[in-house]
Amino acid sequence: MPDLIAKSALEGRSLALGGVTLAEVDPGPITSIALYPGGTKTAAKGLRTLGLAMPGPNSFIEKKGARIVWTGREQAFLIGVAPPAIEGAALTDQSDGWAVLALSGVAAVEVLARLVPVDLRLAACPVGTALRTQVNHMNAVILRTGDYGFEILVFRSMARTAWHEIENAMHMVQARAGTKI
Amino acid sequence: MRYSGLKVITEGLFGNRGWTPAWRDPAPKAEYDVVIIGGGGHGLATAYYLAKNHGITNVAVLEKGYLGSGNIGRNTTIVRANYFLPGNSEFYSHSLKLWEGLEAELNYNVMHSQRGLINLFHSDGQRDAFVRRGNAMINQGDDAILLDREGVREHLPYLDFDNTRFPIYGGLLHPRGGTARHDAVAWGYARGADRRGVDLIQNCEVTGIDIEGGVVRGVQTTRGAIRARRVGIVVAGRSSQVAAMAGMRLPIESHVLQAFVTEGLKPVINHVVSFGMGHFYISQSDKGGLVFGGDLDFYASYAARGNLPMVEHVMEAGMTLMPMIGRAKVLRSWGGIMDMTPDGSPIIDRTHVEGLFIDCGWNYGGFKAVPASGWCMAHLMATGEPHEVARKFRLDRFATGHLLDEEGTGSQHNLH
Amino acid sequence: MRLTCPLCGERDRREFYYYGAEDYLHRPSEGAPLSEWDSYLHLRDNVAGVVRDLWYHEAGCAQWLVVTRNTVTHEISGVELVAERAK
Ligand SMILES: Cc1cc2nc3c(=O)[nH]c(=O)nc-3n(C[C@H](O)[C@H](O)[C@H](O)COP(=O)(O)OP(=O)(O)OC[C@H]3O[C@@H](n4cnc5c(N)ncnc54)[C@H](O)[C@@H]3O)c2cc1C
Ligand SMILES: [Zn+2]
Repeated sequence: MPDLIAKSALEGRSLALGGVTLAEVDPGPITSIALYPGGTKTAAKGLRTLGLAMPGPNSFIEKKGARIVWTGREQAFLIGVAPPAIEGAALTDQSDGWAVLALSGVAAVEVLARLVPVDLRLAACPVGTALRTQVNHMNAVILRTGDYGFEILVFRSMARTAWHEIENAMHMVQARAGTKI
Repeated sequence: MRYSGLKVITEGLFGNRGWTPAWRDPAPKAEYDVVIIGGGGHGLATAYYLAKNHGITNVAVLEKGYLGSGNIGRNTTIVRANYFLPGNSEFYSHSLKLWEGLEAELNYNVMHSQRGLINLFHSDGQRDAFVRRGNAMINQGDDAILLDREGVREHLPYLDFDNTRFPIYGGLLHPRGGTARHDAVAWGYARGADRRGVDLIQNCEVTGIDIEGGVVRGVQTTRGAIRARRVGIVVAGRSSQVAAMAGMRLPIESHVLQAFVTEGLKPVINHVVSFGMGHFYISQSDKGGLVFGGDLDFYASYAARGNLPMVEHVMEAGMTLMPMIGRAKVLRSWGGIMDMTPDGSPIIDRTHVEGLFIDCGWNYGGFKAVPASGWCMAHLMATGEPHEVARKFRLDRFATGHLLDEEGTGSQHNLH
Repeated sequence: MRLTCPLCGERDRREFYYYGAEDYLHRPSEGAPLSEWDSYLHLRDNVAGVVRDLWYHEAGCAQWLVVTRNTVTHEISGVELVAERAK
């Protein structure tokens, strides 16, 4: 077996504009957990070994570098750690399928407001929120990781398009900074 | 009154005082030989050809609003005969021939302009499909010319030929395709029908259909009951409601389609251009406005207005195809209610009730069909037999599996 | 137009795909007469007023939804998960 080198979609690129920083981050392993009918209890037992539980809709939970993100009905992504043994659920390794972008800065929310059809202001979207929605016309999972920070998961095949869209929006927000409307 | 150039000039010289109303405003009689429900393009054309071709003049057209208040006055006016499937080909071919003589026939300027229609293609596979379609059109006796990329550039130099997602490979030019003034078509047929004795009754909504022992007897309306031996339902987006009055459940779902027009500009777009991959098409009206549109809003609707995501989509598609239109200001947008069938083709047929006929399912392509639909519906109502170019437009073709699925998208109503 | 997904909350219409009338949930049983299949696939009440139809939260939770709404006013009065309904 040759030794293959894992490469990220955007080679760890980063960009700072108008006080907002966009950077590709390496999330570590991503495992989809989809409950079988009646699997709730046994799956919960498996996740407890990490101190985690299946998250409620539109939220994620973090414990010691392990993150579990709601991605749908009876379904979640375990991110950052290898999955423990879990009964009662289908586990699928999706690490290669996603690109993760971190967007941070006071105006990060204004950048995303140009692309995302959901209210992402802090009052409507507190830290710990996980949303499945769109970035422009691309499907995405958006995590509110801090008062001024987001992480955005997009399909790996669309990483450069997502970057392009967000970069454009950053330029526009920067150009408008200080402009009184 | 006959209209002519001389008449326009003499009226101009004498203060335009000699014009008379283009049609009467009669009160409904208690009984007619034929009642047509719906005063849109198809209903008016049906009445006209009943009188003209079959000598049946004791006819009323009942319209719940005013003539031309429906889709006939809301469409983007494209007239073409570029269909592929037997059943559709001969019908639209017949319609285009009627269009070509329509102004003389009606003594009315419907501003029919055969400026040519260009359907763009963006891949080898699509080119093959258009070659096939073009051959089918030529076999039918209509015209089609395959243009390569440079050929398209000669006609439409302003397009973005190098778009990464949908580079332009060429186009199918249908020289006899074009546009017409939509409400003039309604007015022309209305005037023609009126002059032959047809009563056009506006503000008269049909609220019930009287049936006795499986035979139609007449209709109930907001202006009283009207007896008739034959009744035609020709109400486009409202077909399901009116058919339900006769106990029918139709293979139709009603959807909203939007369209847009910009401020008037100098002549810039000489053809009708359609960009299938982006769901966008455009032409320029004689007044100068760029008239364009795209896809359905996609959900069943009876609101004659759409939602913003489709507005955005159409604008994006337009900008992708011809970036220059970003400079034009959009003046208005509007919507119309489309009677969508599960195969995208229309219905002109008898019903289970004797004497009751239906003409519906025009999807978003019924403007170009107005002359032939009126012609064939009149033939059916007068003779009881389908006209030869419309014999595949059967109401029961879904149950029997004889679908006419021009786009090959399956039985979901909104995918056609 | 905005729909409130029971899982994701209030979302813009662009996140959803419309499929058609609720009729699609009532698939005829095997061996049903052809007329039932015709009715299931093609024939619709097509009401101008309150209807129930199927939508898919394509850009959200990927759930099928039964939406109760008014086709004249575009008012949405209810959204349910098909999956929960079946239980
Ligand atoms: C935005 C848009 C763009 C389009 N573009 C094109 C195009 O480019 N080319 C093309 O070929 N086609 C196009 N179409 C489609 C075309 O306009 C329609 O298919 C066609 O006009 C429908 O037939 P009609 O004219 O008889 O309908 P309508 O004009 O809608 O006539 C039906 C009439 O029935 C009346 N009615 C309804 N219920 C009752 C009742 N109970 N009692 C009495 N009267 C009743 C209505 O008030 C209405 O006036 C477009 C449509 C739209 C909305
Ligand atoms: Zn959802």
